[in-house]
Formats: sequence, structure tokens, C-alpha cells
Amino acid sequence: MMAIHALHRFRGAISILIVMGVWQIVFLFGLAPEKYFPSIFTVAASFADMLQNGDLAKAEFLTFTRALIGLVAAALLGILLAIISDLSPVLGRGIRYISDILQPIPPAALVPMAIFALGLGYKLYAFVIILVTVWPPYMNGVAALSSVSPVQVNTGRMFGCSRWDLLWRIKLPAAMPEIFTGIRYAATISLIAVIVSEMLAGRDGIGFMIFKKAFALRTADVFALMFVVAVSGVMLNGFTNMLRRFVTGWHIRMMERTE
Amino acid sequence: MNWRPSRIDLLGLLVPLGLIVLWQLLSLHLASPLFPGPMKVAFAIVNNFNVIVKEIGHTLLRAAFGFALAAVLMIPLGVVLGRIPVIGRLLEPIMDMLATLPPPAIIPLVMLFAGTGDWAKIVIIAYAAAVPMLMNTYEASHSIHPMLNRVAKSLQLSRLETMLYIDLPSSLPMIATGARLAIASSLLVSVTSEMLLATNGIGVYLQRSQEYFRIDAGIAGLFFISLAGLLINAAMAKLERRWLFWHYRETSAD
Repeated sequence: MMAIHALHRFRGAISILIVMGVWQIVFLFGLAPEKYFPSIFTVAASFADMLQNGDLAKAEFLTFTRALIGLVAAALLGILLAIISDLSPVLGRGIRYISDILQPIPPAALVPMAIFALGLGYKLYAFVIILVTVWPPYMNGVAALSSVSPVQVNTGRMFGCSRWDLLWRIKLPAAMPEIFTGIRYAATISLIAVIVSEMLAGRDGIGFMIFKKAFALRTADVFALMFVVAVSGVMLNGFTNMLRRFVTGWHIRMMERTE
Repeated sequence: MNWRPSRIDLLGLLVPLGLIVLWQLLSLHLASPLFPGPMKVAFAIVNNFNVIVKEIGHTLLRAAFGFALAAVLMIPLGVVLGRIPVIGRLLEPIMDMLATLPPPAIIPLVMLFAGTGDWAKIVIIAYAAAVPMLMNTYEASHSIHPMLNRVAKSLQLSRLETMLYIDLPSSLPMIATGARLAIASSLLVSVTSEMLLATNGIGVYLQRSQEYFRIDAGIAGLFFISLAGLLINAAMAKLERRWLFWHYRETSAD
């Protein structure tokens, strides 16, 4: 029992050790050519190298701020669209048509068409990220706003809330937990969109760096950069969770109490 | 009763139509070949129809292969990990970490190992589809209703039989959700991988359009990607309703 408990507590560390162990074994036995599969220490060394000459920090700063700003803007826009859809069924149906058409288009496909109209600057990133990231918060927002329990809405009416009050003080807070599920999904998409746009626009950022290093056959650098991308994903997720705790803390506390 | 929603549907159509009109006016105002209006795009769709359909065929075929590979490998793995909690728990953080790594980021890496051919792309697509499939299957089969476990015990099913007859069927609704995410991401990665590792497919077509400054033809290509996505989603929803009718029956009975 103790052993299982310890296992549960340290499973993060244990699983990382397992991955590193398997990695190192594959390397030591030469199962893959070293050129393509460097040892963990080489990867760590090239990570330290890139950290030291400042390239990495600069690229990561660019990529992360792009993803973060894009995510926040897309989340706000998504919530706005969901509110509009809730207020007017006709506009809501119209927005749904547009989202049905735009949603299946991958961010990579948008980049080449948008480069001429928007250039290689922040406008390109804003356009691509927002256009692909806005849908999950919007979809969840629409679903959540329309399924707020009638008891809550009627209680609000009884207290004499206006239409606006009803939306702002009852429906939106009740919908927030589900909207945040959408935002968390959007966080992943926003990072994908940034990296892909950087690879294709080819000027700066982590995505561009990965591609450049891969063409130069600097495998250790590529692995180190992928690690950085994964950490960025974790950080973006952490930021979303923090915001969720701040906005919908009441919901989380309530869920914990019932358990 | 039936008439009212259709009126909303029709009035709602005015929103996209209005946007298209706005787009046309804006493009007439700018009069730039780099910002074509909907009329030009419509002509481009007619003119490039054959090319686009051929190229998107390559794209969809690879996406389907990659997705099938991921489904065949990951659904059994997910069930096994859910049934053998020690391994599942240990691997959970790794899955979480892989989930935060955007699939397109591994494209350059796979290029180093596998080159730029069909198989390299299929591997990348399979990886992209694998993460949501594995996560959802695992999540479903390790949070199975305790009653079902007792059923398995009282029927004296072996571990393998439990996985096959209890875990797999009862995980199917969540696997379907995972499959929907996986299909979306295989399509996304299929196009992306073509744009970065150019050989053929709709991604290459889009880049060619950019290089020849044929933005109208490019937007025509985007239109077809969107259409393909819509059709696949609709087909998936239909299959789900047919195969998982018992699940929908249960939830609607509540």
C-alpha cells in the first residue's frame, strides 16, 4: 500500500526518469544512429548553449507572447460571439454557418494566402491565431449559455434582473466553467498555430528556429527546442488554469466539496 | 412547429451572405490582385476544379492512412493501460506532456529520420491522431463503472476477455470523441506536413498558388479543405448515431 502511495506521488518524476532511461539505453546500444538520436547529455548541452547565446530566450519570448496574446484575444472574441448568439438566434445561426465553414481550415493553409495581404509582422500572427483559436471558446460558450438551468434564470427574474443583468450576473458566470474547458483546448491550438506560422513565414520565433536547425542537421538542437515547445505548452496550460481559478474559483471549490 | 426554426436558418444565412457582399465591395474598392473578391474565387473554383480535387485526394488519403494506423495501435493500448493501472499511472504524465507538444513541431524531426516521402507524412499524421485517441481511450477504460467490473468478475472473465467484452464497448462513446478530435488533427497535420515537406497534395497546391500570386486559386483550395472537413464531420456524426445508438438512448432517457 505504501509503495503504491509513493508511486502515485512521484509518478511524474518516475515517468520522466523512465523516458530518459529508455532514451539513454537506445542511445548506448546504438539502436539508432547517433546523428539522428543524440544522447540526453548532448541535448542538454545544446540546450545550455542556445540558452547562453540568447537566441533561445529571444525566440521563446516571441513565440510565447504571440501565443498568449492570440489566445486571450481569441477567447474574448469567442465569448463575445457566444453572447451575441445567445441574445439573437438569427445572428447566432449566422455565426454558426461561418464557424462551420472556417473551422476545418488548418492554420498552415491560411498562412500563404494571408502573407501578401498582411505581411510578415504581428498582423499575420494575429489573423491566423485568432481565426483558428476562436472556435472552441465560442462553441462551448454557446452550448453553456443555452443550457443554464431555468431555475437559475427564473430566480434572477424573480429578483427583478434586467435582460442585461441576467446575462452578466447569472448566465455568463454559470457558463464560465464550460467556456474555460474550451479555452484550455484553444491554448493548445494557439501554440500550434504560432509554431506553424513561424515555420512557414520563416523569419523568427521557435518554429522558425526548429526548422532552421533541422535543415542544418543539428538534431540535438531540434530535440532541445521540442522540449522548449512542450514546456511552453505546459506554461500556457498553467496560465489558463490560473485564470480559471481566478474567474471560476467558486465552481472549483464547489466541485471539491462534493467529492 | 417545423417552420419556425427554418425561418431562423434562412435569416441566419443573411450573415454569411452579408459578409460575402462586404468582401466583394472591399475587393472592388482595393482592386488588388492580392485581395481577390468572391467572384474571382468562384471563377477560380470552376477553373481549378480538377486539379484541386486530385490534390485534395492525396491529402485525404494520407490523412486516412495515418488516422487508421493510430486507431489500430492506440485503442488497444489505451484499453490495456486502463486495465493495468500501474503502467497507466506511470505513463500518464508522459501522455500529458506529449499532449502539450504541438504535432506540427515534430515535422522537422521526422523529416530527419524518415525523409519527406509518403511514409514520413503518415508517421507524423499517425502521431498527431494517436495522442487524442490514446488519451480518450485510456481515460474511458480506467474510469469504468464499478458495476461493470463486478459483472466481469461474476462471469469469471479473464483479463483479456474483460478488456475485449467490457472495457472496449463501454469506452466506445469516449473513443468516438477522441476519434473526432483525431480526425480534425490528422487533416490539419496532413496539410501542414505537405506545406513543409513538399511533394504533392492540397498543401503544395496552396503554396504554388502563393508563389504564382494566384491568391484566388489559393482561396478556392481553402474552400475545398473546408468542404472536405464539413463532409467528414457530418459522416462521422451519422456513423456515431448509428453505431452508438445505445449510448444516446441511455443519455436521452435520463
